[in-house]
Amino acid sequence: MVNDFMKDEKVHEIYTSIVELETEIMKKWKIQTLVTAFKNNGISTDNGTEKVPYIYTFPHNFLEKNNLIKMNCVDLDKFNLTYNQDTMTIEGTPEVKLDDFFTIEFLVDGEEASEIKHQKQVKLLINPDPKSLWKDIPSDTNALFWKEDDKSEATKIGEKSIVVSSKRGRSHKNVGSFRDDDYAFKYFEDSEWTIVAVSDGAGSAKFSRKGSEIACSETIKCFENVAIKELELFEEEFNQFIDLKEGKQLEQAKETAIKAIYKVAVHAHTEIEKIASETALESPKAFDKTKILNKADYFHATLIFIAFKKINNKYVFLSFGVGDCPIGIINKDRTEAKLLNWLDIGKYGGGTRFITNREIFSSKERPIVSRFNVYITEDFSFLFLMTDGIYDAKFIVEANLEKTEKWLEFIADLEGRNEDNVTLDFSRDLNQLEENLNNWMDFWSKGNHDDRTLAIIF
Amino acid sequence: MRRLPVYLLLDTSGSMIGEPIEAVRNGIQVMVNSLRQNPQAIETAFLSVITFNSTAQQIVPLTDLTTFQIPDIRATGVTAMGQALSVVSNCIDNEVAKTTAESKGDWKPMIFIMTDGMPTDSLQNGLNELNKRRTAVVVACAAGSGADTNVLKKITENVVSLDTADSQSIAKFFAWVTASISTSSTKVEEAGQEASGLNELPPPPSELNIVV
Repeated sequence: MVNDFMKDEKVHEIYTSIVELETEIMKKWKIQTLVTAFKNNGISTDNGTEKVPYIYTFPHNFLEKNNLIKMNCVDLDKFNLTYNQDTMTIEGTPEVKLDDFFTIEFLVDGEEASEIKHQKQVKLLINPDPKSLWKDIPSDTNALFWKEDDKSEATKIGEKSIVVSSKRGRSHKNVGSFRDDDYAFKYFEDSEWTIVAVSDGAGSAKFSRKGSEIACSETIKCFENVAIKELELFEEEFNQFIDLKEGKQLEQAKETAIKAIYKVAVHAHTEIEKIASETALESPKAFDKTKILNKADYFHATLIFIAFKKINNKYVFLSFGVGDCPIGIINKDRTEAKLLNWLDIGKYGGGTRFITNREIFSSKERPIVSRFNVYITEDFSFLFLMTDGIYDAKFIVEANLEKTEKWLEFIADLEGRNEDNVTLDFSRDLNQLEENLNNWMDFWSKGNHDDRTLAIIF
Repeated sequence: MRRLPVYLLLDTSGSMIGEPIEAVRNGIQVMVNSLRQNPQAIETAFLSVITFNSTAQQIVPLTDLTTFQIPDIRATGVTAMGQALSVVSNCIDNEVAKTTAESKGDWKPMIFIMTDGMPTDSLQNGLNELNKRRTAVVVACAAGSGADTNVLKKITENVVSLDTADSQSIAKFFAWVTASISTSSTKVEEAGQEASGLNELPPPPSELNIVV
């Protein structure tokens, strides 16, 4: 009966059309499913950064995996990017930061190329240029102990020259705080001694900007008023040693020298204490940290200084250091570097010491005498004093300060081997050198945005 | 460069379905967008997301903020908090660089844990592992009344709580985490060390109660 029924032409026609419709519906359903699946699939392309070339290529099986027969990315103009269908690559250099969508137009399996395209929105993030995020807020010139944001000098000192620059770090500019670093130097024409001091005020101490300033200026003052006179005896003893070559005399001379510059270190410490107490009397409200009892702790600062003079055709260096700022010297033919002080660096953070810490003068673990050094050499090419703003970025770890090659790399960096193409030509005029050093000091180093101070004697 | 690693340990158990999990997703989004505007955070902070439900898994490895993409987070299953502590311990071993004489390692990692329930596995093994790792501040947040602050106190002394696990409260928690990461990314450079307790982080908003 069924066969007879199906033989009926009319019925057969209807049956065939039902099957066709069913196939058509199934096909459409399948397409719809694939379109929905792709639209719901969380697709992400890499994030970009403004002004940095961007390139993203979809995985080679991207079409197959998503059951697509064709796709195109549009709407990329706003990102300043283009899409290459052959290589399935988005590329270009985004001009501005942007958090927006672009559109993927696509066809899925089973569709004819002429059919209407589907669209999917895909998020694309263009990050800001990290360098553009830093603010430059001036420090408050009315604040107690304000000091200038940047400072630099270059001058002849006897047979040698000095160029020095101290700059407020980006992290301080960003919040409008002060430069905590400082330096001071002086060449004494009569005695031919030169003294250079560099100090880094502790970021956590409220008036460290003043602490570093006093540490440096008082070092110079005491050296001039007290030490130079006492060093005359050192010179006599040293000359005797040169004549007679007796080790004992050299030891005697060194002891005399250290005694003289010991007074300088003590003076720097005492002066900060004095100014701290005076300030506490004048402006008691400024000392508002209840946990800090010792007023000088508001002025915490490191201190390195070095005095040198050419005596009997030899350069004699007398140095002192507390804190984590290095003093390095490079010999005349640039084949050997030497670190003249040891650094107070503690693995667990508690290792830092300051000239404001009274206990440095009586410490058993780190005897005060070990902080002084007498170094004698025929001649030298460079003598460097720097704060950790330079050392952290350029030497990374303390161990590298002991390596000649790292110091030579540092000199090469100064002389032009750097990203900014800044060249310090130490044979050119000093004004130009000072300007170039100031430019060099702005080098970019991720995670290193502290104040920077660098003194170069050459 | 020394990175500041930040691990987010997020409860994605079934009880988080709906508003809470949406709020977590938004929280991460807003946090990352905000940190990307901070010049110090964008350079130093690296973020990882570990979720825990019936198991714990690291769904985003330690990633810098510019390449970080918001993960697809779904809520399901129970609360394997103990396992999450083991996972983060392993991640610290594999991802956080140690300081040697030749190179400066990363800063000690910050860990933020958020849960709305009680652990359904044993906490002890994971806790023993985590205690062996050197970390900066570890903060645990009890979101809503289902979480037990006494349990969280076993993990860290820094416990905060939200009265309800609604979107507003969770958003406040993430805003505070954002501020904490910002502060720390500045502090590591300024002071040369990490924050070690709640007192060194920004004061929490009023929605966030400090559990003593």
